[in-house]
Parts: sequence; C-alpha cells; structure tokens
Amino acid sequence: MSGTIPPELLSVHVLVCLGAGGVGKTTLSAALAVKAAMAGQRVDVMTVDPAPRLLDALGLDAQDAAEPREVALTDVQGRPTPRVGRLRALRLDPKRTFDTIIARHASSPAAAAAILNNRIYRNLSQALAGVGDYMAIERLLELSDGPTTDLVVLDTPPAREALDFLDAPRRLLDLINSRAITLLGGGMRRGLGVVDLAARAVLAAFDRLTGLHLLGDVQAFVHSFEGMYAGFAERAERARTLLGAADTAVAVIATAKQERIAQIKEFISELSACGITTRAVIVNRTLPVMPTAEEIARARIKPPLRRKLVRTAHEFAAVRQRETDAIAALRAALPAGVPLLKLPDLGREPATLADLAAIGEALTIL
Amino acid sequence: MALARLILVTGKGGTGKSAVAAALALALSRRRPTALVDLDQQMSAARMLGIVPGGNIANGVNHDTGSIVNIETRTLSAHHELETFIQRIVPLKSIANRMLRSRTFGYVSAALPGLEAFLMLERLRMLAVHAAAEDRFAVVDAPATGSALELLSVAGGIKRIAPLGTLNRLAAGVESFLADESRFSVMLTLAPNELALRETLEAADALRGRLGVSVAAAALNFVPAALFSASELAALSGYPACRRLAEWRASAGRLAARARRQASRAGLRVVDLPMLFSPEMGRHEVEELCRALSAQLLRQ
Repeated sequence: MSGTIPPELLSVHVLVCLGAGGVGKTTLSAALAVKAAMAGQRVDVMTVDPAPRLLDALGLDAQDAAEPREVALTDVQGRPTPRVGRLRALRLDPKRTFDTIIARHASSPAAAAAILNNRIYRNLSQALAGVGDYMAIERLLELSDGPTTDLVVLDTPPAREALDFLDAPRRLLDLINSRAITLLGGGMRRGLGVVDLAARAVLAAFDRLTGLHLLGDVQAFVHSFEGMYAGFAERAERARTLLGAADTAVAVIATAKQERIAQIKEFISELSACGITTRAVIVNRTLPVMPTAEEIARARIKPPLRRKLVRTAHEFAAVRQRETDAIAALRAALPAGVPLLKLPDLGREPATLADLAAIGEALTIL
Repeated sequence: MALARLILVTGKGGTGKSAVAAALALALSRRRPTALVDLDQQMSAARMLGIVPGGNIANGVNHDTGSIVNIETRTLSAHHELETFIQRIVPLKSIANRMLRSRTFGYVSAALPGLEAFLMLERLRMLAVHAAAEDRFAVVDAPATGSALELLSVAGGIKRIAPLGTLNRLAAGVESFLADESRFSVMLTLAPNELALRETLEAADALRGRLGVSVAAAALNFVPAALFSASELAALSGYPACRRLAEWRASAGRLAARARRQASRAGLRVVDLPMLFSPEMGRHEVEELCRALSAQLLRQ
C-alpha cells in the first residue's frame, strides 16, 4: 500500500508539517521521515516536544538532542528493503538556537555576552510567543543547507494560526528594526516628528508608572543589536524563499473534527496568501473498518452477546457518522487539487522505529 | 469541598475542554448565576449550549434561551485588556489613545513579554472578586494546557521585570488570587489515552507545585460504560470482525480505567464523563455531561 500516497509529497527538499496542537504532528513527521529514509532518501527530521516513547523510537536522548543524531534503520527491516537511505533526528531547543544565532551575528564575543545577559533578551528568548517558531525556521535553514541531506522534515510548534509560524522571522525583524526601538534607542535619529517625541515622553511616563524601568534595558538591547540587522534580514529573506520554493512542501495535519474545519480552511488560505501551496491535508486518527449490524446478525453467536455487539455497532455507527460528515465538510472546504490523506488510529503511541514505519505504511489517500 | 469562585478549564487539545466548560457552567448555573468566559474568541462552549452570541459581546450580554437563564457569556481579549489598562494608568485620555494608536506602542508591548497575558489574569482576578461579592460563579474555557500554563506563569515574570510600581503590585495580587483555592482553581480535562494522561499529570504537577494553584478535579472524558466481559471477548475469537468491534469498546474502557488509576494515584480527584455516541456535540450532549458532573462534583 506504500504507493498510495502522492509520491511528490516526499520527493521534495523540505516538508513542513503544520497543524493545531494535539493532532499528531510530531508522530506523523517522524513517520514520514522514516518512510522517506526507507525509500532511500537521506533525511533529517526535527521534532518539537516529542513524547518520551517517540524519543526512544528515534533513539534520542531526552536531555541532549539539539544536534542531529543518526537513527539506526537496520531495526526496521523485517523485510528486504531495496535501498535504505539515512535518517537523522533532532529536537528543537529554542533557547539554545537563539543563543547560537546571537553569537553568530554579534560583532564581538563581548557584544554577544551583553545581549545574552540583557533582561529584555532573557525574557524575549524565553517568553515572547513566536521565538520558538522563529527558531524552528532558523534550524530549518541550517538543516536544509546540509550538503548530504535530501529531505528535511520539520515538525512545528502548535500554531493557532499558520502565519504565526511562517511569519516569525519577519515579526522578529520588525521588532528589532521598529521605530519604537529607534525611539527608545536613545541616539537621536533624523526625522523624528512631534508625534514621535510625544510618544517617547509618554513611553517614559509609562515606564515610570508601571514600575517596569525598562527603557535603560531596551536601549542597551537595541544598541547591542546594532549591526546585526543585516544578518537577520538576510535570514528572514532566505526563510521566505525556502518556504515558498517549489521543492518545499507543506502538509497540514488535522483530525476529523467538525469544529476545526473552518480553522483548517483559514490556515490554508493564509498559507496561500503568503505564496505557499498546501501539498496535502492529512487526517489523523481515523476510525477503523468495523462490521455492520447485518454482518453481526450472520455470525453464530449467543443472543445476549449478539445484542451487545449490535448495540456497539450502533454506537460505532454514530461515531463513524460524525467522522464521515467532518471529512466530507473538510473536503468541501479544501481548494481543488489538494489531496486528502488519512491515517487510521493505531490505538497506541509508537514506541519503536517499526511502529513509525507501520504508520507510514498505513497512510492512504482518502 | 467548596468550589472556587472562578474555575479555569484546560486540558490537552481534543480532550473536550469546551464541552466540559459548557457542562460545568450549566451545572453551576442551576445553583447560582454563572459567567461562561472565553479566552480565544471562538465561543465554542457557548455555541454548544446553543447560546449563539451576536453583536458586541466584549462586555458581556445576557442570553435567555430555554432553561439556560443563569449563564452570562463573556469573551476576553488580550488587546482589549491592554487598552483598558493604559487608559487607567495614563491620566489624559487623548494621550492614552494616541499611545495606543501608535505602531510604536505595539512594538513596545511586544517587547514586554506577557504584559497582555498578565492583564488577562488581572481581569480574571477581578471577575472572581465580583463573583464573590454577588455570590456567583465563573467558568473559563481556557486554551490548551501549554498555553494555559504559560498564562498562569506570567505573573511571576512580571514581578521579576517590574520590581516596583503598579505592575509589581498587581502581579502580587494576581499571584495571591491564583494561590487562593476559594477564589481560583483549575479543572483539567483528560481523555483516556497515553499522551493526554501524561500531559495532565505534568500540568497537575506544575500547577500544584511551581504555581501553587489548586486543581479542583480531572474530568476524565469519553469513558464508555462497561459492556463486554473478558469471557465474552474470548468467545468472539472465532469472529475477528466482531471481536475487533467489541475490543474497540473494551480497550477504551481499559484505557479509561488506567488513566483514572494513575490520575488518582497522583492525588487528583477524578470525575468520569461518559462517552457520548452521538453525531455531534450540542445542547443535549452538554446536558448529559452536566448530569455526570453534578452527580460527582456538586453533590453536597
């Protein structure tokens, strides 16, 4: 059945798995990576917050997996495989990635240290929504540059909106290059109007009133970023190019839930507005095939047990109906030509590479 | 155990947060007037109750529909809270408005991580104050566990970056509100699967340990009533398809029992909610969950 998913989904250089929280992005990313590696590609997969069992399955250490580790594919071969590629896995560590970037772009080690110790930076790198997203993209750029890598599979942080993730580099750029920063940065720039001066006074008052006393830190932060802007701008531009490239595929992962469909539709149109085509929508955890009431009636079972089975079949049918309706609505909401795939619920979390390979095999076109 | 004035419902995605929040609000509203508060603008809980909000609901509107007479729906937005806060601390209205309109300010607030989220918490604190004064309840349909924990952690961060002044004072107030189980507690929703169980146990740890927040209950959702005995399952071994069907239901029951055991062992009060075999989640289904919640949680 392995030929049933569109081959072009895995014959790209970058595959980004997007979706809301709890839909199984991490597991699916790993399974797709295993599938591609088993088909002969050299694959890197980056996971975000994997479950302990999935870490085990990928042979990753819970503490230290920030660098790609080779996963031994020999374990998976219950059957002969024509040509096995290579699989490396890593886990995103946003803070560490951010620190690395600062060190790379800063003009001197002292400048880097000044940023790393700044109160604003410490909060920014840990708490500002979007930093995790930006770091995932940054890591993606690094991995996709790898000369020995055919395919990078990227699991992403749960996104409320697709743009939260894809727009992260631009938002960070906006932040460090904003007029606010210019204003707060102290040194008077040309072109500050009366409104800007008023804003500056108001901000100073705000700082005093709230007790934040941030202006000094913001100024130091901005000064330390001076000269780094060009580096960030270049990365953001490259990220945009990479995500919109013809050999980058975006797969949206979903579950068959009626109440999520509007969100998925919105997701896809946002992506398309950024010039990114959704190559597939994968419906995770679909229901298995079950016998109907008629089939049960034909089985030679004692009546009391049969009644229980019939009752269960009715209950299952109701749950199935919910799924069928949701999938029909999802299909209607998708732009023409976007393939819809399904992955039946396997009833347990994958704990071995063989489990991940089985998931890849169970993926079919709807 | 008396319930907190304000109960925040969170859990892993797919565990039925909104349905549980709706059912809890419905159960409470039959005793005292209850506010059903939404933090993500989707109003899913209100929709399930058949209360379809319309128009400007930012400040809360009463909706009388059928027997739901005591629920007031309300939606909070981070940005709105920030606006209100600025208007409160900046004495001149024209300056406050100019400040809010400027792009500059947008960036500054983005550089102050958690300020908007913190102001949402401050709003929840005030809702609890009003609820106590008027002998009401409030139920918050919160985002999934990760974001909810981030939200609840934000007061500590604000205290660190603002060692003195207005925000520091407010942050201290919010922290003592969160730690006061008569005013605030969390209900975690849980589904009978491994990932949801793990997330619930981790969340309970973080809440009760690091954040000092009380956990009112873990609502174990999607629990099927027991149907097949072990010997009946064995009797089906000659009929693989039938066996699969029976197993579909029996395994859900086993997973539920396991989740219940582990959550109880972690000291959580577990409330079972039935698996509802119906094509959609509406008013009727919320009523069923409400009955189960009332019987287990609100029994005197």
